Amino acid sequence: MEAKTGAPGKNSSRTRSERKLAWMLCAPAVVAMLLVTAYPIAYAVVLSLQNVDLRFPDENSFAGLSNYTTVLTSSLWWTDIFNTVFLMVTTVAIELVLGMAIALVMHRAIFGRGVVRTSVLIPYGIITVVAAFAWQFAFAPETGFVNNLPLISDNMDWFGGRFSSFAVIIMAEVWKTTPFMALLLLAGLVTIDDQLYEAARVDGATAWQRFTRITLPLMKPAILVALLFRTLDAFRVFDTIFIMTRGALDTESVSILGYNQLISRLNLGLGSAVSVLIFLCVFLIAFVFVRGFGAKLDEGRPGG
Amino acid sequence: MTSGWTARSLIGLAAVALAAFGLAGCGGSSDESGPADLTFFVAIQPGGTIEEVSKRCSEESGGKYTITPEFLPTDASQQREQLVRRLGAEDSSIDIVGMDVIWTGEFANAGWVEPWTGPLKKQVTEKVFPNVIETASFEKKLYAAPFNTNTQLLWYRKDLVKQPPKTWDEMIEVAEGLKEAGTIQVQANRYEGYMVFVNALIESAGTEILSGPEEVDLEQGPTEKALEVIGRLANGGAAPPSLSTSDEDTARLGFEAGESAFMTNYTFAYGSAQEEAPDIGKVMGFARFPRVDASKPSKPPLGGFNLAVSSYSQNKDVAFEAAACLANDKSQKTAVELDGLPPSRSDLYTDKAVTDAYPGFAGLVKESIEASGPRPTTPAYQDVTLAVQRALHPPDKIDPEDTESIYDELKANVEDAVKREGLL
Amino acid sequence: MEQRTSRDYALWSIAILLVVVFALIPVLWLISISLKPPEALADQRFIPSSVSFDNYKSLFEGGVSDSPFIKPLINSIGIALITTTISIVLASFCAYAIARLEFPGKRLILAGALAIAMFPPISTVGPLFDMWRALHLYDTWLGLIIPYLTFSLPLAIYVLVAFFREIPWDLEQAAQVDGATPFQAFTKVIVPLAAPGVFTAAILVFIFCWNDFLFAISLTSSDASRTVPAALAFFTGESSFTAPTGSIAAAAVVVTVPIIVFVLIFQRRIVAGLTAGAVKG
Repeated sequence: MEAKTGAPGKNSSRTRSERKLAWMLCAPAVVAMLLVTAYPIAYAVVLSLQNVDLRFPDENSFAGLSNYTTVLTSSLWWTDIFNTVFLMVTTVAIELVLGMAIALVMHRAIFGRGVVRTSVLIPYGIITVVAAFAWQFAFAPETGFVNNLPLISDNMDWFGGRFSSFAVIIMAEVWKTTPFMALLLLAGLVTIDDQLYEAARVDGATAWQRFTRITLPLMKPAILVALLFRTLDAFRVFDTIFIMTRGALDTESVSILGYNQLISRLNLGLGSAVSVLIFLCVFLIAFVFVRGFGAKLDEGRPGG
Repeated sequence: MTSGWTARSLIGLAAVALAAFGLAGCGGSSDESGPADLTFFVAIQPGGTIEEVSKRCSEESGGKYTITPEFLPTDASQQREQLVRRLGAEDSSIDIVGMDVIWTGEFANAGWVEPWTGPLKKQVTEKVFPNVIETASFEKKLYAAPFNTNTQLLWYRKDLVKQPPKTWDEMIEVAEGLKEAGTIQVQANRYEGYMVFVNALIESAGTEILSGPEEVDLEQGPTEKALEVIGRLANGGAAPPSLSTSDEDTARLGFEAGESAFMTNYTFAYGSAQEEAPDIGKVMGFARFPRVDASKPSKPPLGGFNLAVSSYSQNKDVAFEAAACLANDKSQKTAVELDGLPPSRSDLYTDKAVTDAYPGFAGLVKESIEASGPRPTTPAYQDVTLAVQRALHPPDKIDPEDTESIYDELKANVEDAVKREGLL
Repeated sequence: MEQRTSRDYALWSIAILLVVVFALIPVLWLISISLKPPEALADQRFIPSSVSFDNYKSLFEGGVSDSPFIKPLINSIGIALITTTISIVLASFCAYAIARLEFPGKRLILAGALAIAMFPPISTVGPLFDMWRALHLYDTWLGLIIPYLTFSLPLAIYVLVAFFREIPWDLEQAAQVDGATPFQAFTKVIVPLAAPGVFTAAILVFIFCWNDFLFAISLTSSDASRTVPAALAFFTGESSFTAPTGSIAAAAVVVTVPIIVFVLIFQRRIVAGLTAGAVKG
């Protein structure tokens, strides 16, 4: 095995064989990913440029960008974007803080680590629709126990108001996906060498300083991957809202909007346009992440 | 060594064999060698009605066909999603479809189901309620055989209220005046059940949402009266705490827990109360869906399922016969016995099976179906229902003192929906 | 090595208790719902006043062939395990290449993987349904394994790249200098360091497959391949208007048991890998 000290030189045969190896290693994954999505994504883009309503098969026509203008000039779209971004930002922020705290407990607990780690992951493993339903059942005035708790009015109609509904939705989402954050953060924590902490302690660093100067920087890759995927997923929230409120009271997210056009109205043109727009928004978020936060995930670290 | 005789007979045998192969290869609805295998896509019924009627009809066909049920999810919109995906893909594995009454216009216009004609058409509509036949028709053609129907009654606590109220206004007043259980259970979550409720009120007020597949009616006076009822209910003391997320299940749970003196719900509510809350069940009274306008008889909601033949079936002739059997009076009796589903044939309401399932209120169910106000028949039904829900949900946004602005919003929404414009 | 005072234990007990309570209250609520008899379902109590196992019994009634639940459970476990295995293998190869080797198209693969993960699945289901029917993959295990692979690979690749990037690869060389063969160097030094990432990715992929509803309901039509989330959509209550609340809750509880087992095994491996390998000498 050759030592890799810095970028390989321009030695073409080594570079070529390295490239060949790399492509061979990546090919199966790439094929698996494209196989399923290439046709559907292309098809969705093509549909978005047409007027296609499955219930009126004789009326198909080319629409150009008119589906996009319909969506972008609709106040419903912008309300839903606001809802979606609001939910995304609040849930991800809460999850990051909570997830980090939980990851520290999972890593440093002096006993019962197995129990903690396993119980933390259970919420993530519960079937999403059932979890959403359990939360909804708990908060519904007629069936749930929440209104019986002290400090909460007996008749509080959680799902009767926009922001109280949001509160329950956020709680349910945070509960469900904080484990995802915690798991990735734990795996990041675990790779940090204890000797670094020892050395810092000897130098007189406080716990907070050790956290901010050692832990956080070394966990940056793990944090970034967690944040990136969690944010992208949060933007596409669907199940929780659908089950709790069906998007009523202006709690609708852009995914529910897409579902309504695509599945309820069978307006494939409009629905595909919404899907493509959702994709572009998510792409924008990813772009911001990669550029803004310097998520340089593609560079192999040379040497030690 | 083959003699001429053997050779000729061998050729003869080969010819016969080939001919038999050829006949078998041409198999289809005229296949003599085995029953046609029909698949029946329909929602699962807890009591086992579907399995029962499929088995019986397969046996009665004398080897002509076998019916295999393929179940769809319990939730109506998921059923539609699965069906639409397949029919849109021209899936030939569907033969018979169990269609919710609101899908008729949509499926017929898209060319997914076949019209019924001739003697079979006469057979499946004989003695069926005219309203129910309407729900299976589009543009004057019959697209499905009526199977079961459904309607809502007013259920009330006999121990708290001596006489059932005749109108919604009266009921709201009585409920607000009660010391306990002073609420009315309805269905007002943002789903099809709310449309059922709204439509029944609008129809009872004397107008309708659509007067044709693409024409909006919604006469102002009666519509505003109906909206006023909703606003009064939602903003007053008669509203249960989670009105805006209520459905048929939470309604019956609330009634069974003793929280409400009144409930509008389907026929299943009676059996459920007897089983789950016998104390409440003992004092459960029933009456017709209340009036909106005291001078006009109420038009209760109408639901149900009709059986259609898919346009992509490869066994259409046989499928029509099978569907006719699946929808006949014997099957309807099984449906009411096993699952409490109201028959679509009006002559069955004096039958023991029905009077056993609806003790004391079989006649009321029949009367309600005859007087019912169906939801609009239009290919753009999903748009219309989304538009109505968007305009009128949550119910407490309707101000009973000022129904004009909400009326304008409703009318504008429905007009756009019928033209299938805009984002919903 | 610090002395563990009883104060330490007490503080940690509180911390652990908080975490476990946060994680488990809704699960306990689900268990509570599943144990309530139908007439007590809406009694608003967290702890049921009377306990009934009817919901659980109804899940398993009818044995393997007829119960609404057993075959879907088998499908779920099988499909999730197979997908996880294949996904981790493919993602590891790809991530190794991206983290260690220089080649053009690296950024493209990463960006492309992300794009695929970001596209709204609801739009892909229709065309996928058409494709699968044409290829006879409809209602088969493979018919679900392939889309699950596609949508889980991006996450697996990113996680593994992030972890492989942190591995000091020259340790491998150092081990060889110390006399190990390339293979020994790889397995004894690199593999343990990669373990946290690999097992983390495995847990995430498994749970993704476990939870998926959209593809499961659209690409299956019978117990041959229907998984548990999709099977739940077919549960009925007493009548077609009564929600099968109790049995759904019971199913959800039973279905977390395999998850608990999977996680218990794998969470030890996340840490075990690191401490086993001789890290810095």
